[in-house]
Amino acid sequence: MSVLLEDIRPWRHDLGGCLHGCLATLLESRGVTALPVLGAAWTFRHFPGGVRREEYYYPCRAGDSLLQALAPYHPVRSEWHEPADAAAGWREVREQLSAGHAVAVAVDNFELSFRPAYRDVHSNHLVVVHGYDEERGTVRVLDAVPPAFHGDIPLAELTAARNSGNDLVHERDMFFTGVHIGNRWLSVELGVPADEFPPLDRDEADRVLRLNQEHFAARPDGDGYRGLAGQEAFLTGMVKRLAAGEAIRDELFVAAGAALACTAVHADWLALAGRTLDHPGLLEQARAVDRVAHHWSAVRIFAALTSDGEVSPARLARRVDALMRDHESALTGLEQERTRL
Amino acid sequence: MKERSRAVPVDLAPYADNTGITSARATAAGAFNLWGNTFPAGELPPPGTAVVDGLPFRFPLAPAGEPDNVRCAGQLLPLPPGRYDWIQLLAAAERRTEDQALLHYADGAVDPEWLRVSDFWPQTRSRFGAAPAYECRVLHYPRHVDDKFGPVVWRHRVPVPRESDLAAVRLPDNPAIHVFAMTLVPALVPATEGAA
Repeated sequence: MSVLLEDIRPWRHDLGGCLHGCLATLLESRGVTALPVLGAAWTFRHFPGGVRREEYYYPCRAGDSLLQALAPYHPVRSEWHEPADAAAGWREVREQLSAGHAVAVAVDNFELSFRPAYRDVHSNHLVVVHGYDEERGTVRVLDAVPPAFHGDIPLAELTAARNSGNDLVHERDMFFTGVHIGNRWLSVELGVPADEFPPLDRDEADRVLRLNQEHFAARPDGDGYRGLAGQEAFLTGMVKRLAAGEAIRDELFVAAGAALACTAVHADWLALAGRTLDHPGLLEQARAVDRVAHHWSAVRIFAALTSDGEVSPARLARRVDALMRDHESALTGLEQERTRL
Repeated sequence: MKERSRAVPVDLAPYADNTGITSARATAAGAFNLWGNTFPAGELPPPGTAVVDGLPFRFPLAPAGEPDNVRCAGQLLPLPPGRYDWIQLLAAAERRTEDQALLHYADGAVDPEWLRVSDFWPQTRSRFGAAPAYECRVLHYPRHVDDKFGPVVWRHRVPVPRESDLAAVRLPDNPAIHVFAMTLVPALVPATEGAA
């Protein structure tokens, strides 16, 4: 028996990663255009102790799914499935494919011959699976992260990647290693039919911009760091911990990666809204938000260099200060633009 | 009629502090990024003068495996004083990013100007409208050479708007930005002024 789900397209954002790419592909496979959904929310959340060693890490509140965390303004959710073993892992994915649903599966790049990390570096990655051929013993895999891959691989290879212990072996096994992949797979669900999702019109732009303003204005609620005040508290806390000699590399690097992706994809949402609504002011604000994303690019590398002592607390503090000022300025500009819609 | 004198390559060797280029025989000798990826020396010009889009650059003089690029950390680079229109750069970033460089003029004036640098990562287009200077076919990892994709060195440029002599540039403090080479493009000067 073989199954090949059609119209499964790669989706990539240069400052996003496998999480945005896979969720976008799965949403579009359900008939939902990805960017208006995945790029709407511009938020900041961080949960101390909650950073997971996954390339697809994204900060989630308890009870929220990954997709809800990325797209809280739309009727979508995702669900992690945790099979008992490799055999159950394939059986469950096969059932989904047979039912016409593409899924995302967690994998260790070390086991995948199309990844540059093959037999070199372990990493906890996410790819889409949308077909299988039992006669040939292959599965159809889509990975939009460079080097982009879309093709068949042996089922045994995918199984090894899904069932990997993802061992931390050497110094380049960083951030995303040391946790079992566990054959996990991720499904996406829509709360309403695709054609009932809100169109990207002026009302929708107003709604999204207002919700983002409310998010960043919210005070900490005891559930980790959130909003602009939470972002500043988190970042200044990182500076203080660095000054105290603590190791902050992993936590700041991974948290900055999530913030970078969120900010940059939202910038693209703003640009899309600006073009769709023929509203040049939104295009200008898209660029202002991109500027904030570019700060996060720098923060990410500052974080990486803290372990070698190359980054002083003063250097990191200056970057944090500039990021916060540009973030506040962007929010001011966005609110002004919202009133002009 | 206006005419432009010859471009002025800048020697960045004294400031090089990162090894981003390695030979295929010693790929672990550098680390452009955190994971130890490097550009393949075999696909880049040999040390010395390289011409990109008609502009001469002093490509890193270091042998492969020695520091060959400047990781931006707020360094102040003295420049041959003169009237310039552009600072042209061969550069690449770990994810696209931007910051302001500070242009110091001979008369003491200082202006910030944007330095935007595109991602070195393969299969990633420039979001800043930059031109690729070198598109490599392979990417070096510390323990292997991957031929599925290759990184990019970009040609970016920073404007020099002020009509007076430029004397130095302070790079931004942004370690995601790496500069391999820099060339100053002289200002267009009215022929009558140049002849005076």
